[in-house]
Amino acid sequence: MKEMLEKELDFDDDPLNAMGVSRKSLVIFFLIDTSGSMKGTKMGELNTAMEELVPEIRRIGEADTDVKVAVLTFSTNLAWMYSEPISIEEFEWNRLAANGITNMGAAFEELNIRLSRNSFLNSPSLSFAPVIFLMTDGYPSDNYRDGLRRLNENSWYKYALKVALGIGKEANDEMLAEFTNSPDTVVHAYTGGQLASLIKKIAVTSSQIGSKSMTLSDDTIGEIGVDDVTDSKQRQLEKEIQDIVKADEFSKDIPFDSGW
Amino acid sequence: MLELKVGQSVEIEYGGFARVIKVLGSGGQGIVYLVEFNNSHYALKWYDVSKIANPQAFRKNIETNINDGPPSNKFLWPKHLTKANENGGFGYLMDLRPEGYDSFVDILNMYKLVIDPLTGAARKQPVQFRSLFALVTAVINIVNAFRQLHRAGKSYQDLNDGGFFINIETGDVLVCDCDNIAPDGYNFGIGGKPGYMAPEIVRGISKPDVQTDKYSLAVVLFKLLFRGDPMEGEKVVKDICLTEASELKHYGKEAVFVFDPNNNTNRPVRGIHDNVIKFWGIYPDYIRQAFTYTFTAGLADPNKRIIENEWQKLFTRLRAEIVSCQCGRTTFLSAFENLGDTTYRCQRCGTHFPTLSFSNVDYRIPIYQNARLYACITETACDDFSRITGEVIENRLKKGMLGIRNMSDKVWDVKMPDGNFYHIDYEKGFPIWEDLEIKFGDITAKIK
Repeated sequence: MKEMLEKELDFDDDPLNAMGVSRKSLVIFFLIDTSGSMKGTKMGELNTAMEELVPEIRRIGEADTDVKVAVLTFSTNLAWMYSEPISIEEFEWNRLAANGITNMGAAFEELNIRLSRNSFLNSPSLSFAPVIFLMTDGYPSDNYRDGLRRLNENSWYKYALKVALGIGKEANDEMLAEFTNSPDTVVHAYTGGQLASLIKKIAVTSSQIGSKSMTLSDDTIGEIGVDDVTDSKQRQLEKEIQDIVKADEFSKDIPFDSGW
Repeated sequence: MLELKVGQSVEIEYGGFARVIKVLGSGGQGIVYLVEFNNSHYALKWYDVSKIANPQAFRKNIETNINDGPPSNKFLWPKHLTKANENGGFGYLMDLRPEGYDSFVDILNMYKLVIDPLTGAARKQPVQFRSLFALVTAVINIVNAFRQLHRAGKSYQDLNDGGFFINIETGDVLVCDCDNIAPDGYNFGIGGKPGYMAPEIVRGISKPDVQTDKYSLAVVLFKLLFRGDPMEGEKVVKDICLTEASELKHYGKEAVFVFDPNNNTNRPVRGIHDNVIKFWGIYPDYIRQAFTYTFTAGLADPNKRIIENEWQKLFTRLRAEIVSCQCGRTTFLSAFENLGDTTYRCQRCGTHFPTLSFSNVDYRIPIYQNARLYACITETACDDFSRITGEVIENRLKKGMLGIRNMSDKVWDVKMPDGNFYHIDYEKGFPIWEDLEIKFGDITAKIK
């Protein structure tokens, strides 16, 4: 009887029978302006840069972090490229087309709804604060301040690493700094070559910082307090973005906004 | 940073040039390139010197390490320094990772991404140890590598999941990223990774040294065996968003081991930490106690962390206690039913198997077909855990009759069923019977 009972039991005591380690999640949000003014070279460069970026950031999370990507496009209408964040290992870029006006405020409101445990940030395990990367070539057509006010009340947004890339002369760096809360994480591309290289460098840098645990500075002396580490990733991001801007050789191409 | 270009040549300190072939990977301190030097391929780690606090001291330390040589053959050690270029940039050459080794990261994830060279599409390929024996051997090899490093008076400093390659067939280990290894007590600016770093480093009150290495080593071993984080439980998951402040708290100031017997605030959570919950129940007590000691008493007191030699003994025992039953069930002896004497029974298929006591260790070794004995058990004062000295085989003429074959270069004296002792030479065997006694020189093994 005893043996019969035991045979019924499933001896799940094989120490090799494991699942992958539970990982922390990081969602990288791309907010992309697809208004009519983005048509042509800008959209072409952007699409190509994003296609090439995906394989480059695939292993950024390593064992610790499950990196996911969510892409929101805004013009007259809003659209998510996929209905939920997609793991970077499976993500495929769908080429975007440009048309319509720049409803950036609506995009901020939509982002606010998705930056929630009940929506896009629903990993059962731990999450790192998201990375939010805004790209635009113009000034919002709608009232963006209401959306921004709502975002500022969202804790995920508060902790998020925020970067903005202004494309061409029309994009307003001051407005973009309102979004990122820091002028140091706003960069500007004037040429096609710059646009492609900045998209990649910024996305790689911000997702590297976002997906990693805090790093200790070398010159710490004595017990570290919460104040010492708060926003340390944001400060690291600001510094590295400024390094990228400085290192970026201004190419001699014709600026986007000239000649048409 | 100043990157190298494909085709570019870099001058090696003691002559010759290394030519860059392609990028292999990038890390916090620089980029690793595949290069050709003297008609051989090497990996070149090229530093972003702006990220190194004191490049001269850092370079000098690597030079010292190259001159000292690796503590054992388990290290992918720096081989040649390059000359510094006009911007102060420099790097060093090391051997490439040999075929057949997987990264620790892929082992923890249980898959690796294989990129199709034509389409660029990524495909997942499973990564899993071929046997429990290979897993525990890898653990012993890691412990042994750090024991040798520490005996050489050096510390690894930033021990984390990026630091190892493991052969999942054999359990062979290669320690990589050896460029931060420094004499104990010295630090060239590297901090480490929360979760792997000792709490006193996270808190900023200590610099990496041999004692903090011991903490990181215990984390690496825990992750490899239990497939989860020793400090990540209910208390940590409640934070939802892992900010810098919560890392400082949960891995530094208020770290609590998930199985702390005196603090149940941070237990593993079902649905998230299922591996840890399951495996904690499978490993024998002495393994659980060693981790518990290191992650409770050893959290605040670096002297209360299990030392490498102790780990090596514990895992040598664990490996000797692996039972591969004929029904296919493979697990540790403690999971089988003890029949009151020295015999055990598999609850799944009913097979009985005996165990041998050894006069030099305080545990018994299970005897089943294909089980092996190692020099560290059968030879006096020996810690060689890889040399096989005996194996359990089935008699060719009498099916079902098990015996032990002497695979060592020593002569054993064995008590046979007629009551007399006989000399057993290399490659000779003897049956396992109820009153078996084996004399390996000073060491005696008995069934009863």
